[in-house]
Amino acid sequence: MLTRGTLIYIGQRLLLIAFTVLAVSFAVFAALHSLPGNPFVNEKLHGAELAAQMHLYGLDLPIPIQYWNWLKGAIHGDFGVSLAILNEPISPIVFREFSVSLMLGGAALLITLGLGTVLGVIAAARQNTWVDYTLTTFAVIGYSVPSFVLASVFILVFGVWLFNVTHGAFYYPLNWTGTYGTIEELSIPAIALGLYTSGQVTRITRAAMLDVIQQDYIRTARAKGLRQRIVILRHAFRNALIPVVSIAGPLIITIIVGSVVIENLFGIPGLGKEFVESILRHDYNIAIAVFTLYAALIGVANLLVDIAYAAIDPRIRY
Amino acid sequence: MPDITKPILEVKNLRTSFFTDDGEVKAVRDVSFDLYEGETLGIVGESGCGKSVTVMSILGLVQRLGKITGGQVLFRGKDLTKIPADELRHVRGRDIAMIFQDPLSSLNPVLSVGYQIDEAMYAHDVIKHDDIRARGVDLLEEVRVPDASRRIKDYPHQFSGGMRQRAMIAMGLSNKPKVLIADEPTTALDVTVQAQILELLRDLNQNTGTSIILITHNLGVVAGLCQRVIVMYAGEIVEEGTAEQIFENPQHPYTWSLLRSMPRVDTSRRERLKSIEGLPPDLIAPPPGCKFNPRCPFRIEQCFSDDPTLETVGDDDRHIAKCWVRMKRAYAEMGAATLTDTRPGAASGVRPPKTLVEKLEDSREIEPDTEAVGDLRGS
Ligand SMILES: Nc1ncnc2c1ncn2[C@@H]1O[C@H](COP(=O)(O)OP(=O)(O)OP(=O)(O)O)[C@@H](O)[C@H]1O
Ligand code: SF4
Ligand SMILES: [Mg+2]
Repeated sequence: MLTRGTLIYIGQRLLLIAFTVLAVSFAVFAALHSLPGNPFVNEKLHGAELAAQMHLYGLDLPIPIQYWNWLKGAIHGDFGVSLAILNEPISPIVFREFSVSLMLGGAALLITLGLGTVLGVIAAARQNTWVDYTLTTFAVIGYSVPSFVLASVFILVFGVWLFNVTHGAFYYPLNWTGTYGTIEELSIPAIALGLYTSGQVTRITRAAMLDVIQQDYIRTARAKGLRQRIVILRHAFRNALIPVVSIAGPLIITIIVGSVVIENLFGIPGLGKEFVESILRHDYNIAIAVFTLYAALIGVANLLVDIAYAAIDPRIRY
Repeated sequence: MPDITKPILEVKNLRTSFFTDDGEVKAVRDVSFDLYEGETLGIVGESGCGKSVTVMSILGLVQRLGKITGGQVLFRGKDLTKIPADELRHVRGRDIAMIFQDPLSSLNPVLSVGYQIDEAMYAHDVIKHDDIRARGVDLLEEVRVPDASRRIKDYPHQFSGGMRQRAMIAMGLSNKPKVLIADEPTTALDVTVQAQILELLRDLNQNTGTSIILITHNLGVVAGLCQRVIVMYAGEIVEEGTAEQIFENPQHPYTWSLLRSMPRVDTSRRERLKSIEGLPPDLIAPPPGCKFNPRCPFRIEQCFSDDPTLETVGDDDRHIAKCWVRMKRAYAEMGAATLTDTRPGAASGVRPPKTLVEKLEDSREIEPDTEAVGDLRGS
């Protein structure tokens, strides 16, 4: 229920996010501009030529002034021009890459929560049977193997060994097809990215379900004559979701961090790939835009998690 | 008035155990009783004597380690311990409803009170679906929740303890059950609220003729509400009779002790704190003979070797007790009327047989009931 208090709370949180993003962008701006080297190393510019280039892009000004100039554009969604690709405006590039990463991360999050909770519920319902042991083992493997290891194995198996069987559907040369890839191309990286976190969700869901089904209100639900399925899904699962949602924030951050590695491994043209490449190219403007977008994404994701938390647990009101 | 010719629920030789790592906890040991139409039956006994497990077994609600190991629960000619799960599901909440001790934890915190009441009706086909919403409000009004039409949308945490128990009762009554089992419905509530809830149960019994099984360890509650009383000890029924028989003429020493330990308004504060000495026995390996013998002031030699059975007491065949001595003899021969020392064996002067004491002394695993044993060795 959206009460006035809730709306005020959301407004406050958005304000806080704005400040955080501002602070992050400034810190990154200052840090990157103090790094040794310059964007024009590859062009082998020296002396007066270099100074002229630096002047052209405003890189000779004091950092606070440069930042101010950058900020004026950024507020309107204009992150300036690339320093490496001549005069290319950054915003269209990073926003496109952002949407690619959002798709990959969203798919991974879906796998994390969907697979994780379903397996957790099944494991709990079949506690101490071979089903439980199998799923628990899967979960442990899931969260013990880092996503980049899993990704490498997947590439080897699906892209290389099974190349003929899969007709190259999972082959990742250096980039995937087009901007958003194909469903096949998306599925493997999304699984590699989401399996690790889904193992954690499985473990937490299972523990929460086992705790919840011992609660008095579950006994009440059974004493009312509800179907077993309804007792489990409506009464137990909703309560078991509370601890799952409480770790959703950290899970999302894990996925974002993981996506940087995964995008680079699979050649996915998303924010994570750009992040690494832009830093290597000293393309400050792009790197700063990427950082800024990440900060905003994490802030908004955490806000959404908190809203979901309140939606599931009526005892929580902001 | 209850119709004592028609049992609506018959429990026959019920046995329920918990299979724990330490062994089989026999929580209910061969319990039989009838519940008649329209009556309120009280079940009393100390904590851990098997009251809850008995009634949970009736609806097949013991879980995990617990298992019904024998006996029957006959309702409308069907044995509830044998019928298929789906049939049993329809008995639960429709024919036999149950409310629990702790209203704070018995409602689901993430679902609204109204939802949980409605859901009980949707689960069965007693109430027409179109009428369910309205009936939810009516029920809450009936159990005297103020401002019911607004409060029905609230979540449990917005309700006080007493209101939650009212909501539980409303939920229990929603399908017009034949039997309502109330397991210590007032223990968690403060005194004034307790009285209100009990009043509600009394009205319910009188107005709708719903049979009630009321579990409590408060004998005062039983006296006010129940027509018949069952006294349980260590998983067994030790005495059963009409409320009058139990209160005026208790025959089992345990019942007698419970009544003595009952707080009375007219007694001094010091006397009120009296309770039965010692603890109930370990239900994995209870003492041989009568299970009350380690605590009984009136025990005789026979009590240590032979387990008595439930026999009629004599005044009429509704009054039965499980005791070799019985209070009639205890009054006549052991001066029970003026007894001040209620320690084990105090009235009869009988100590456990030598072998048993030695066994207790030798064995470090069996933690002896220090008070009782110390007393035996000392005198
Ligand atoms: N889940 C369980 N596992 C093992 N033993 C149990 C379990 N539940 C109950 N018991 C045993 O069964 C016995 C009877 O328990 P029960 O809950 O019926 O007592 P009670 O008479 O209802 O007591 P109270 O007044 O405290 O509610 C207890 O002594 C306890 O040791
Ligand atoms: S007198 Fe004997 S049989 Fe009766 S309660 Fe006491 S110990 Fe048990
Ligand atoms: Mg109990």
